[in-house]
Amino acid sequence: MRPGGFRPKNYRRTLTYLAAGILISAVTLYLALPILALLIRITPDMFFATLHDPEVVSALWLSLFTTAITLTVVILVGTPFAYFHSRYSYPGKVIVDTLIDLPLVLPPAVAGVALLVLYGRVGILGRYFNMLGISIAFTTLAVIMAQIFVASPFYLRQAKSLFEQLDPAYEQTARTLGASSLRILTQVTLPMTATGLVSGAVMTFGRALGEFGATIMFAGNLPGVTQTMPLAVYVGMEGNINVGLTISILLVIISFGIMIAVRLIQKREAGRA
Amino acid sequence: MKGTLTPCKLAFISLIYGLLLVSALFAGCTQSTTSAPATPVATTVPVTAAATPVAVATTAVPVTVAPTSTPAPTFTPSQSNLVVFTAASLTGASNTIGSSFTKAYPPTTVSFDLDGTQALKTQIENGAYADVLISASNTYTTALKNEGYLVNSSVKPLTTNYVIVILPASNPANIQSLADLAKPGVKIAMEDKTVPAGTATIAVLNNLANSTYGQSWKNATISNVVTYELSEPAVATKVALGEVDAGFVYQSTATAAASGTYQSITIPQKYNYLQTYTIGILQESTNKPQAAWFEQYMLSSAGQNILSEYGFTPVVSHYK
Amino acid sequence: MVKQLRDYTLDFALTVHSGEIMTLMGLNGSGKSTTLNIIAGLLQPDTATITLSGECLCRTDTGTDVPAEDRRIGYVLQNPAVFPRMTVRDNVAFGLRARHVPRPVISERIAYWMEQVHITDLAGVRAGNLSGGQKQRVALARALAIKPDLLMLDEPFTALDAESTQTVKDLTRRFVRKMQIPCIVVTHRLADSTDIGDRACVLCNGKKEWEGIPGEMPEMCTVCHCP
Repeated sequence: MRPGGFRPKNYRRTLTYLAAGILISAVTLYLALPILALLIRITPDMFFATLHDPEVVSALWLSLFTTAITLTVVILVGTPFAYFHSRYSYPGKVIVDTLIDLPLVLPPAVAGVALLVLYGRVGILGRYFNMLGISIAFTTLAVIMAQIFVASPFYLRQAKSLFEQLDPAYEQTARTLGASSLRILTQVTLPMTATGLVSGAVMTFGRALGEFGATIMFAGNLPGVTQTMPLAVYVGMEGNINVGLTISILLVIISFGIMIAVRLIQKREAGRA
Repeated sequence: MKGTLTPCKLAFISLIYGLLLVSALFAGCTQSTTSAPATPVATTVPVTAAATPVAVATTAVPVTVAPTSTPAPTFTPSQSNLVVFTAASLTGASNTIGSSFTKAYPPTTVSFDLDGTQALKTQIENGAYADVLISASNTYTTALKNEGYLVNSSVKPLTTNYVIVILPASNPANIQSLADLAKPGVKIAMEDKTVPAGTATIAVLNNLANSTYGQSWKNATISNVVTYELSEPAVATKVALGEVDAGFVYQSTATAAASGTYQSITIPQKYNYLQTYTIGILQESTNKPQAAWFEQYMLSSAGQNILSEYGFTPVVSHYK
Repeated sequence: MVKQLRDYTLDFALTVHSGEIMTLMGLNGSGKSTTLNIIAGLLQPDTATITLSGECLCRTDTGTDVPAEDRRIGYVLQNPAVFPRMTVRDNVAFGLRARHVPRPVISERIAYWMEQVHITDLAGVRAGNLSGGQKQRVALARALAIKPDLLMLDEPFTALDAESTQTVKDLTRRFVRKMQIPCIVVTHRLADSTDIGDRACVLCNGKKEWEGIPGEMPEMCTVCHCP
């Protein structure tokens, strides 16, 4: 009959497994339970009924639309920017490096205030736009600008890091073989960094979708124009709880959906290799 | 052969311990909160703004609270801190109230949690701790009374506030009258309908439309709204910054502001909406005697004077 | 060529003849890779004159500088840098496509070169999945497919096993003779130098301290006066 867990060696190993088990369960449950609570709190019938609510529909459409544009802009502008930034040194590069990181630590409300003070109707730059008849604050454009401001660092840092860590040998070899800069970027650099860039884009999307503080400050809260899903959740939780819960669940579904899609893509990439 | 920990066993063990851990946490938490009534079911009728407005327009039926003098010093000094959930429109007054109260009833201190009344209500319903609630909305107060969160006998009208239109000091859209609010291109800020000030504003707009300016004026004005802010001070900020041409706020905000911050257009009382603030003690309070002092203080001439200073209109009652 | 580097100045002259393999040797950090990079046009010298097949690639006193993309040089770096996401075929064809060589010519050439380095049966494989030796051969084929006027290899044998090393050496020798192009091979192992080199030269701290037949080369430290 083996005494099993009471012999010193077994005891220690069991303890390790125990500790691991507790840690893993604790973390998993901490993250999973609130989501589950959300799903339990509202009945499926009420959920589907509330989906038709005009507030829900307009918030959903607005959020998806604005984050799509934000993502497009960040990727199209951010990728070449990160590329040049990582390949060349230029005066003030350190400052730019710091600025890229800034929105990560800046409270979103502060970002909102800053954008308002700059681009608002009486803002430092905004007043000139206003003279030309262009208003920025309180428009959907403001929503997009706020999202870009707070979410772009996720992509830029990732892209910059990827490009910096890429062994220069690849691009150098391509050059000696006669490739133009564009060909190098599209056929050598980007394919090799694609997976990392996608994960950066996903983080950017997530941050943009959840943006609240800067949006309410700079873009305001107007259903159909600037009331994104996070704003609608907040308003909903104070007035129409069902709307708040439904939109919250929608956000969870979208987030999960995106993450699963990305995992699948990454698996396929790895599998093809 | 020594027993190996198969993946199955590991998963089972982790699950058991994980569940134990979680239930321990839950148990700990629920014990510490005072027994609050069951949280309302999700399918409760949500608070809508439509209900009250028109009828309440005739709120020229105010209630007087005969100002009482500060009670005789039969209190026992207690080192406690009162948590007062307060409607955001009292933000400016809160510091003065706090320090004056502590002077009168040392060493009891007051901390204010200032937020839109709708947010305060949600927090209370979800277990937040407060001793006193100053609510900007009868509807929310009644709801909380019905749900059993308030000591109903302690709920009294505290003060009132009318709605006013404020403009940036420079009046960029050159608004001279309420009619101008409907001009195309004017940018207006108001509170969301879930905020008491928002309900009040909607009522005012309805009254003005029905009595003087007509439905198309109201529709045009509403389509000029560029943002539904989540608290009353937020509207004031947007107007002060000059980012909008006009905003609907409480008179207290306009009165209490430093001179020159705003221009304003008053709305005649007969078309206005008199927002009544109530004060009440929470059932969950563990400082009920001190909370009662606070309420007394606020209802007394001392408290009422502070409120007047900050632009609130005293409650007027017909009984002596 | 002269180039001021961090610890010393690179300053020497080099001549390689067609069909000749020159091994460039020296202690670590003596400027061997830098030399290749300068010749390839990836690094700018302070002063230099580089001539290849009569054409002047770089002449600092007159300001001539042919960009790296246009120098007809086949260069395999220390990291052979086969593009991992592309197939072997696409890798070998890369330089040809970059130079807009007509399609039928490309097919013909890559078929030829893949055959030469014995990698035809791996043509459709993603280059990232190849072994070290296979990658080296792909890199070689890729560099030669563009019909360069000069071939440069930087430490090609370090990561290879004995068998692959022999294969690469044989292939290199054969191609260099056949195409009658000059070839520079950087290596730190005397054995490799003797094996593959027709001539050898030793760099110490940026200066050429010895040049001659590999077999006659003295101890590195004797040449470089190691401390």
